[in-house]
Amino acid sequence: MIKTWIQSFQIKNAYRVNTFIYSLKQLPLIGKVFKNALYGNTALKILGTFYSIIVELISTFLGKFLYLFFLIYLILPMYPSSDGSYFVHLLLFLTGAGALLNTYLFNPTKDKYYAMFTLKMDAKKYTLSDYYDRMLKVVIGFMPFTCLFGILSQVPVWICILLPFYVAAFKILVNVYFLEKYKRTGIVTDENHPVKGVWLWILFFLIFAYGLPYVQIVLPLSFSVLFLLLVVIGGIWGIFYLQKYSKYREIYKIILTNDNMNLAAYQTKNMEKKTVQKGIDVNTKIVSHKTGYAYFNELFVKRHSRILSKSAIKITWVMIGIFFFLTVFTLSFPVWKERINSILLVMLPYFVFIMYCINRGQEVCKAMFMNCDHSMLTYGFYRKPKVLLNLFKERLKSVILINLLPAFTLALGLVFLLYITGGTTQFLDYPILFFSILAMSIFFSVHHLVLYYLLQPYNQESETKSATYGIANGATYLFCYYMLKIRIPIFTFGCCTILFSILYCLISLFLVYRYAPKTFHLKN
Amino acid sequence: MQLKIENLHKSFQEKEVLKGIDFTFEEGKIYGLLGRNGSGKTTFFNCLNHDIPFEEGTFTLVDQKENRPLELEDIGYVLSTPNVPEFLTAREFLKFFLDIHQDKIKEEKSIDEYFEFMHIEKEDRDKLLKDYSYGMKNKMQMLVNMIADPNVLLLDEPLTSLDVVVAEEMKQVLKSMKKNHILIFSTHIMELALSLCDEIVLLHQGTLKEIDRSHMSDQELRDKILEALTE
Repeated sequence: MIKTWIQSFQIKNAYRVNTFIYSLKQLPLIGKVFKNALYGNTALKILGTFYSIIVELISTFLGKFLYLFFLIYLILPMYPSSDGSYFVHLLLFLTGAGALLNTYLFNPTKDKYYAMFTLKMDAKKYTLSDYYDRMLKVVIGFMPFTCLFGILSQVPVWICILLPFYVAAFKILVNVYFLEKYKRTGIVTDENHPVKGVWLWILFFLIFAYGLPYVQIVLPLSFSVLFLLLVVIGGIWGIFYLQKYSKYREIYKIILTNDNMNLAAYQTKNMEKKTVQKGIDVNTKIVSHKTGYAYFNELFVKRHSRILSKSAIKITWVMIGIFFFLTVFTLSFPVWKERINSILLVMLPYFVFIMYCINRGQEVCKAMFMNCDHSMLTYGFYRKPKVLLNLFKERLKSVILINLLPAFTLALGLVFLLYITGGTTQFLDYPILFFSILAMSIFFSVHHLVLYYLLQPYNQESETKSATYGIANGATYLFCYYMLKIRIPIFTFGCCTILFSILYCLISLFLVYRYAPKTFHLKN
Repeated sequence: MQLKIENLHKSFQEKEVLKGIDFTFEEGKIYGLLGRNGSGKTTFFNCLNHDIPFEEGTFTLVDQKENRPLELEDIGYVLSTPNVPEFLTAREFLKFFLDIHQDKIKEEKSIDEYFEFMHIEKEDRDKLLKDYSYGMKNKMQMLVNMIADPNVLLLDEPLTSLDVVVAEEMKQVLKSMKKNHILIFSTHIMELALSLCDEIVLLHQGTLKEIDRSHMSDQELRDKILEALTE
């Protein structure tokens, strides 16, 4: 088994190292310096191995730290009392949800496919060596943080040491249940497609974890410890069960070759493409009475209403609901008026992030490529500047209109909320607030479409090939996220937003008209 | 009309795929482009179709009246994997295409006449293209290229995955199109090249070489092609 473990480590390592070199080659400007021969460069391979080890360390420790810190340690002060039993109670139930969400054994991944089917490694040996490796990392990764946060939460040290073993044992027992289920019923569990029952159990665990302490019902520490010990003993028995089990290859044959894992749909890009293609409305009664570019675009928008207009309408209804709730709340509890009012007067930058989140631009562009431009760009006529720019105009109009519906609702709702919570001394705040939200919406609509036209990132196989596109999207996200922390009065920020949006739109539209005929083609 | 290619060079990083191609294609002929896997047939087509940049080279369309650079609208490109907008029905796709080419199509026919020509059945004309079979999508791709009436038609293994009936229909369409056009047909299948094409051109070691098939039996021609490709 150790030999199999070494082989599986080598496969993963080679995969990570090559991914590392490939990522270097994708960097704008610098990437061009790197040649293909680099894949055989020993020094770079060693560097890549270091990178691989760092990734391994991060995945072993960082995730566990964040999990315990955010989902348990930060939550504890919200409860009326927070002795050690609360910490153990939360971890005890959350582990249940985590074990169902992340079985590892039933997660169809590329490594498993390559090892068991391409390289024809022994399925049982590979699965078990890989799984034990993972469980060992669970114990090692959790240990420092259950000790740290456990001791800070007044949990006895020996229980802190026991907890990582409990987590691993619980995971093993859940897998034993799924393996036995397959043996008895022939039903295979696929981690990526959990059945309703699994979701119900997760909900149950979450309610028990967070809900019970809220009403001051917490498992006594003595009971928790008994349960932990029982699970750990069960986990040891589980290891024997895993050792005896023989149907691993059968199971992987099903989950690695079913609809989500056959070779054609093997990579994420194809999965993504399939998902976007499912968004096409098959109703051929949808018609358009326009002609030319407007005809083409209108049919696209109507046949993609599920991911375009219907989605925007859903967001609008959610907003109406939120504003309705806030209105009733404000009128019922007038003491909150002043607080909400003061927040509204300086929180406009916050809405940059909200507008970024509700804007459908990125999804629209993805659908445009996967379901339309991917095929149309192979036709010479479609790449002619006249066709390209005419269609761009039609698309821009549609994207702006789709996004304006929720934006208009949000803008109106905010103005109304500002008014009923006491208003503002500067009358201009109302129109500025209203128009700045609309300006943000138009800005994001233009931004996503312009990025798409100027950097068209996809190739014939629908893979994203432009690192610049990724960087630009990442920078947009970071900028919007940064805005969450800014507090500026409505008038100042609103005026700046409106001016910036107008300027940005003008410049970017100029750039599209100037450069898109050269840049908007399939990447190679 | 002639398509003149001069000194075409294309490299991918350190690997030079096309090493100074000089060749002249003539109208009224179907050229069978043969080459081994990775010899650069698709790269050659992509350069002609302005899909990828290349280091050096010119493409000129030589006519009785004038010599001019090859433009995007002179080229039709039929790919081995048919690409059609799947959210449209066949009729809608054709309507859009005819709408935006209204001023360029010489003898415009009705949409149904085009379907008849390409043997697309009535019940299939209002179906979404996403529900079309591979062969049907291929027919649509070919039909659009045919209506656009480009001077040069590039065909990248378009018949490889078609059933025998559709493949035969497509061969007839290609033969009917060759008058006044230059057709360059890339394939791996030697039999297909020999039966359909008027001229055989080999892409080997980065250059194009025409095989003179006059006074040669099919077997002699096959042997000669194999010999040239394994040099």
